[in-house]
Amino acid sequence: MSEYGYIPEAPEQSFGNNKGIFTPKDIYDLTRADKYTNYGQLELIETQTVSNVATVDFTTLGTYNVHFMTFNDIHSATNNVLTNVRFYENEVLETGAVYQYAYQYGNVAGSFGESRSTSNTRIYTLMNLGNATNETANGYTYFYNLTDSSKYSFLTFHSMTINATPNGNMNFGSAVLPQASTVTGIQVLMQSGNITSGTISLYGIKEYS
Amino acid sequence: MTITVSSAVASVTLTGIDSDDVYMLAVSNCIPVTNGQNGELRVTKSGTAQSDANYDFAFKGLRTDTTFSNLASVGSSKWTYPIGWSTSNTSAEAGVSGNAIIYLYNFNSSSEYSFITVETATKYSGGTLAPTGGALHKVASASDGVHFQWSSGNIDVGAVFTLYRVV
Repeated sequence: MSEYGYIPEAPEQSFGNNKGIFTPKDIYDLTRADKYTNYGQLELIETQTVSNVATVDFTTLGTYNVHFMTFNDIHSATNNVLTNVRFYENEVLETGAVYQYAYQYGNVAGSFGESRSTSNTRIYTLMNLGNATNETANGYTYFYNLTDSSKYSFLTFHSMTINATPNGNMNFGSAVLPQASTVTGIQVLMQSGNITSGTISLYGIKEYS
Repeated sequence: MTITVSSAVASVTLTGIDSDDVYMLAVSNCIPVTNGQNGELRVTKSGTAQSDANYDFAFKGLRTDTTFSNLASVGSSKWTYPIGWSTSNTSAEAGVSGNAIIYLYNFNSSSEYSFITVETATKYSGGTLAPTGGALHKVASASDGVHFQWSSGNIDVGAVFTLYRVV
């Protein structure tokens, strides 16, 4: 009986070193064992479809060094507010004025500027949005070192929204929670009021050694 | 899908957006045949590039040669600056190219506008240019792809456009 096309036995399979002929079941089994070569994998952890809530928590982070979060079609109950992020450290929500962020913003009418803080109670990520029809927020965030207890937790973000004017406005920037801790969860919330609707997805970026 | 330009063409169209997922367009080695061109991006609906006056954009023009620029417009017939900004051709500067990562949001929605975020890295004779920001097409109907061209002239051989669905 052949194994991966070899008779009687195939070479040992490992990531970056696959030899033989593979059935779909072989690929499935080897992938589950982290022995099949698939470069650059974005692994979906969780998608949450939001409906009229104050906060959205992602409490399963896995062991990734880099996480990726997408925000699609976010609507706000309150007018002209930013979408925020804060972290759970060892299951305890950090609400202190300890977050730092800096971003560049600009709107389609030509008004541009900078926003920064070294001591905020949350990280402003997506730009402000209105609460009328079609006024939505969209964007992505990369998170770094969340699960490393010896490192600060960093993020970069980029968004495009429609504010209350209504004008399209964008921002891009980065932020940090300058505390060497294990982040065990990510909370998404509006600057005030509820998130009316939207889809938020969290991914881990798989790495191999 | 991936489109690799094998002979100079006027434009490239990528379609196939048919779900509510976020999509990502990766562009590399995009060079104008004619020197000093801006990139022009449009949405497609039913595969056809839309040229109405409903394109708004806001990009911070990061650059190595002088103070950053503000690039913004309301009611344009296209998104200008994604992928290229005064981009040189290879006759002017060998090794030059336009490159970008563009995320697409709400394209498949029949009731929302189509949004993009853009990171571009390109070059002209004076230095490196990086228009970064976002844009929207203010028509509440589904878009199924994007169409790219340079402001004048063809896209040179070697450009690679890949559209991904983020799942």
